[in-house]
Amino acid sequence: MESSRPPVCPRCRSTTIEVRSHSPVAGVWTVFGCATCLYAWRSTEPEENTDPDQYPAVFRLKPEDLADLPVAPSIPPRRRR
Amino acid sequence: MSAFQSLREFLQRLEAEQQLLRVTEEVSLEPDLAAAACALAQLGETSPAIHFDRIKGYQNARVVMNVHGSWPNHALALGLDKHTSLRDQFFEFVRRYQQYPGGLERVTSAPWQELVVERDVNLFDLMPLFRLNRGDGGFYLDKACTVSRDPDDWDNDDVENVGIYRIQVKGRNRLGIQTVPQHDIAIHLAHAEARGEDLPVAIAVGNEPVITLVGAMPILYDQLEYKMAAALQGQPYRCVKTGKGLDVPWGSEYVLEGRVLAGQREPEGPFGEFPGYYSGGHRYPVIEIDRVSHCKDPIYDSVYVGKPWTELDFLQAMTTCAPLYVQVHESFPEVVAVNALYTHGLVVIVSTKTRFGGFAKSVGMRVLTTPHGLGYAKIVIVVDADVDPFDLKQVMWALSVKVNPAGDVLILPNLSENLLDPACQPGGMVHKMIIDATTPIAPDSRGDYGQELDTPPQTDAWRQKLGALMNDLQKGAR
Repeated sequence: MESSRPPVCPRCRSTTIEVRSHSPVAGVWTVFGCATCLYAWRSTEPEENTDPDQYPAVFRLKPEDLADLPVAPSIPPRRRR
Repeated sequence: MSAFQSLREFLQRLEAEQQLLRVTEEVSLEPDLAAAACALAQLGETSPAIHFDRIKGYQNARVVMNVHGSWPNHALALGLDKHTSLRDQFFEFVRRYQQYPGGLERVTSAPWQELVVERDVNLFDLMPLFRLNRGDGGFYLDKACTVSRDPDDWDNDDVENVGIYRIQVKGRNRLGIQTVPQHDIAIHLAHAEARGEDLPVAIAVGNEPVITLVGAMPILYDQLEYKMAAALQGQPYRCVKTGKGLDVPWGSEYVLEGRVLAGQREPEGPFGEFPGYYSGGHRYPVIEIDRVSHCKDPIYDSVYVGKPWTELDFLQAMTTCAPLYVQVHESFPEVVAVNALYTHGLVVIVSTKTRFGGFAKSVGMRVLTTPHGLGYAKIVIVVDADVDPFDLKQVMWALSVKVNPAGDVLILPNLSENLLDPACQPGGMVHKMIIDATTPIAPDSRGDYGQELDTPPQTDAWRQKLGALMNDLQKGAR
């Protein structure tokens, strides 16, 4: 299924959707990615992975929460040369 | 013992041993591949590896899963007979582990150098990437060996690192990698970032089976995984240097070369993890891939991670038992065997001789003070030397009759634990428990253990005689 670009990310509902790749055999699937939350999905996946309304509530994210995700490992200070 | 040089060579062996299943129907990347691998794990402990070569959207992609996903496959990976018992696999694994270090055989060319992509790298094109579990944030490389060197000690081979870290493919050549602070690559990255430099990495996908086991093994920082793989294989490990000077297995299917970007962290996850729960999301380091090399018609190897048991539990089995046994045995030579097979050794069963009352509890405490104990071992069951810790029927017998909870259960409050253990409260902290299921001996006089049953005379002889007769009976029925 070569689908058109969806309007929002299934996970965070941002509109920053990009085409990551088309299937090597033309017209079978498209991989999309969200530039905000970095979720990626294939157009042929079950609807719970492609449709924002079907996406499981437990995995949904808000763009404003991304900055609060824990950082690991921490970034060390630069050494003085 | 026979060593395999490549994934292909091992797959041939699995096929010859009826341990490789070829699926000939056309399959979808989702949900077929993960569903098939998950189903295989439900079919028992002798499941074959599974090979797909008709994948929707690709001309000629090939995917293999469950390569390590059974005790017969695990035995074959070590060059043993596929019927080798779990207990015998343990003792052989420990014996070879203690042969460290083996040697390196550095050669100048490898089959994976045949095809090279240096411009417009698109991993979605080059590899049949797919989602494993519905809540995963994307498609993951979850069985690849990531190789790095210490930027502060670049030419020291012994601190070169080969590790299996989960890697999320976010863009055509952009990856996220989980390098928690306890991982050796995190030391390399910290040194690179302190210098303000990117960290060069090589990511090897589709490897012979032993380096995959070793990449998941908690060996010391200054122990080189290739030298451990050589010890386990019984011959020098064959590898090739990349242009950046990173050693890569000769037998890999794909080699991705790139850089962990200094000072960058991006959203990563969630990913369904080994405890049977999702990891949640984090801001993790980022890799950019500059170059991909691969064999002609490469085979993509992936491991399904789900609620235990899955292939992952076989990968984390002996690789956890052996270091734990060696470390505890150094302090307590009375220890006979260690079973840390369950959920990466969150539960550990130790069999030991006991010298005096209370001895087993000390053995249990030693388990909790090993490196594995700091982050994984949470429940330790100690049994007598004549109880096989790999035979859960025997372990349950010991628990049933040797334990008086009044004096045999120790709860140790607020010890350190892996963040991924969902029982933690708060994250990284948990109570731990030692259960002493050994027979009390002096001066511990609790219970009445004077009249244990044994077997009737001639039982051993009858077992041999009847075993042969039963074999004949089954042959006659075929």
